[in-house]
Amino acid sequence: MNSLTQIPPGTQILIGDAVRRRRAVERAIFSVFEGWSYQEIIPPMLDYLDVFVKGMGHELEDRIYRFIDREGNVLALRPEFTSLLAKTAATRLSQEPGPIRLSYSGEVLRFETTKGGQQREFAQMGIEQYGVSSASADAEVLLVCMESLRSLGVSDFQINLGSVDFFGGIVDRIGLPDSDIDRLKGLLNRKDQSGLERMLDGLDMEERRKAVLRAVPHLTGGRETLDAARGLVRNERSRQAIAHLESIYSVFEELDLAGRLTIDLGEIRGFDYYSGILFRAYVPGLGFEVALGGRYDHLLAQFGHDTPAVGFSFTLERLEQVVARPFPAGRSAEGRPSDAASVADAVRLRGEGKAVRLCS
Amino acid sequence: MLVIAIAKGRFLAPSLAVLDRAGIRFDEDVTDSRRLVFDSSDGQCRVILVKPIDVPTYVEYGAADAGITGRDVLLESRADVLEPLDLGFGQCKLVVAAPNGASSADADRPIVRVATKYPNAATEYFNRRSIPVEIIPLSGSIELGPLVGLADRIVDLVETGRTLRDNGLVVVDVIAESSARLIVNRANYQTKRSEIVGFVDALEAAGPRAGRA
Repeated sequence: MNSLTQIPPGTQILIGDAVRRRRAVERAIFSVFEGWSYQEIIPPMLDYLDVFVKGMGHELEDRIYRFIDREGNVLALRPEFTSLLAKTAATRLSQEPGPIRLSYSGEVLRFETTKGGQQREFAQMGIEQYGVSSASADAEVLLVCMESLRSLGVSDFQINLGSVDFFGGIVDRIGLPDSDIDRLKGLLNRKDQSGLERMLDGLDMEERRKAVLRAVPHLTGGRETLDAARGLVRNERSRQAIAHLESIYSVFEELDLAGRLTIDLGEIRGFDYYSGILFRAYVPGLGFEVALGGRYDHLLAQFGHDTPAVGFSFTLERLEQVVARPFPAGRSAEGRPSDAASVADAVRLRGEGKAVRLCS
Repeated sequence: MLVIAIAKGRFLAPSLAVLDRAGIRFDEDVTDSRRLVFDSSDGQCRVILVKPIDVPTYVEYGAADAGITGRDVLLESRADVLEPLDLGFGQCKLVVAAPNGASSADADRPIVRVATKYPNAATEYFNRRSIPVEIIPLSGSIELGPLVGLADRIVDLVETGRTLRDNGLVVVDVIAESSARLIVNRANYQTKRSEIVGFVDALEAAGPRAGRA
């Protein structure tokens, strides 16, 4: 390996049109974020490892780039923004009147296999809202996601909406060990019916409960899915999750946007910190999600300030593959640069507000 | 149009038979051609023929909406895909095997040398048991490994067990049961939902489990 000519695996360099595209995408999305009163914050590149482990969970701990500083502290390059912003909201901003709305854009690093344009270093852009746990707060975040996509000319998209609590309420009652719950989650997340069947065969469990678990991978669709789910469960946590999803869904029905939402109660994949709704945005033609979000009401308590939160983030490398072309429209606001024969000419042209290219 | 990746080789004929039972037929003989892309007679499906190990890749990236492949291949590839149906054919086991008479506990050995076509699945199996392991990747005739002293164990797919017996090997443990699976891309499942759900239902109705309550 020649370290002077080769770039580290998974890092990237954007040049020319790729940069203009990135900035144009950022501007379009930031304008939507600002339109919904989300204020940008610029957090640090690194923080103590524990900050991220609390949020992302131990499963993802080994994907974090970490190092030891001169004092012997274990630090990590940020693998995501949510934990960083949660820490800030729970500490520096804890006295601010809620709800607090924050946005961010920047690169994160994870040891991961490159997939769907997402390398080890990739750009995340998103929002977080703190202080409210209502269905309308969740709906707002979903609406900001939808409007952001539209602002890029992406009008054909589908958002998959699930809830950690629906499944949580079911397994609370079963009393399975954690390892079995993880296995069950894995099977449901792959919609692996035969694997699920085999696992259920080996479990000593009421037939009624087994029937519920068997139905979970099929609980996907529109409003009728929520009705079907309500008929299946009696526990309070699951029923509240359904009522909550129903309130969100009603908002989108009234706005005539429900067609963009798919309820999927079998969808329970995500970081450990998720506690309520969970969603992913998909665009036809790309085999991976472009956005991931959800509610995480217990994360801020880890940082000393117990307050509910919800948010989402885009992966810009993926989004850029599906934005309508031609985008961005122009090269720059100033148009094509004028050629200047001398420094004096260049200064004069700049004085007139023109873009210049000094030829000498 | 739905794009379905199916594996060339021993899975090809049974995969086509399942599709046929689900009403997906082709004007030409898919098994007897050098072409790699075939459209179904009704124009609803396009089948692409790929190497078995590549099926999960095509599906994970969304280049194919769905695919048919063995569970062994899925375990090895670690692809993040939906796995809604067990199609029932191609049953076999991914096993750990050792020379007959030398299958005593691995705990005694400082390190176990394992010849395999399944380095990921093998590594995971031994890691989970805290057994130090050296994986020796081979691409065929794995049974030869222990015979010539290249390895202590093999991790390989076993259908009848005859090849193992003929080479003086015995099964020490079963890592996983395998059979043909229908896999589906996660994103396309959302963006082409009605088409994909219709396809999965048709295959389920046409499969060996059809008629089961």
